[in-house]
Amino acid sequence: MDDLHVAVVERRVAALDVAAALDFVGDPRFGGITTFIGRVRDHNVGRVVTGISYDLFEPLALRMFRAIGERARAEVGAPLKLWIAHAKGDLAIGDLAVVVAAGTPHRDEAFRACRLAIEAVKHEAPIWKQEHYVDGDSAWSEGCSLCEEQREAERHAHGHDHAGHAHGR
Amino acid sequence: MKVRIALYGALREADTSGYVELEVPAGSSIAELRELLVAHLAGHVPAIPANLVRRSAFASAEEILHNHRTVPEGIELAVLPPVSGG
Repeated sequence: MDDLHVAVVERRVAALDVAAALDFVGDPRFGGITTFIGRVRDHNVGRVVTGISYDLFEPLALRMFRAIGERARAEVGAPLKLWIAHAKGDLAIGDLAVVVAAGTPHRDEAFRACRLAIEAVKHEAPIWKQEHYVDGDSAWSEGCSLCEEQREAERHAHGHDHAGHAHGR
Repeated sequence: MKVRIALYGALREADTSGYVELEVPAGSSIAELRELLVAHLAGHVPAIPANLVRRSAFASAEEILHNHRTVPEGIELAVLPPVSGG
């Protein structure tokens, strides 16, 4: 659909393009534009991070980004243009890992669509983050299970809803 | 039947080829496939914790395959450890 742009961008090929995202979601009907930009930061849980590698199961990730876009459209109940792009490969500190942009008639719809989309990308899309540390060590982030019984069990164990999870940035 | 399973994230470390192949009885469920993978990795790559596989989902290129689903024939599957995008 023309109102939805989804992409996985190999870092060696290009950086994520915020200007292109803003351009895409712009429309004469829309007075509200929101953007979420996820960048690689230099620390996590007390360790100095030197870079991140992202692994994706690309065909399924792209399908899920589209499904997330359709869910956001149904949720906000207003005209919406949405951009979801995630980086793949080896990223340095400051590189953009993810860009979500939403354009809608009013700000409330734009904030809601953007928030829904980034939370769903983080918790549901087949993407894995491997952090590299200053001491040469590397580790895959713990993450959210996509297995429904596990999700249920982990939700109960944590005593709160999954959307409130605070792993990663 | 033989089922080829592509590896992602932390499970890539189970095999440098990027996949494992398992012999699976026709009609097996995804839950049964998971236990076969747990047993296979316990024998071949003991460094991979069984709990990581138990928290992993299976998928085709089109959808997540939940535990009650039958293992589809003739297509490559993927095993998806807990996700951490963004």
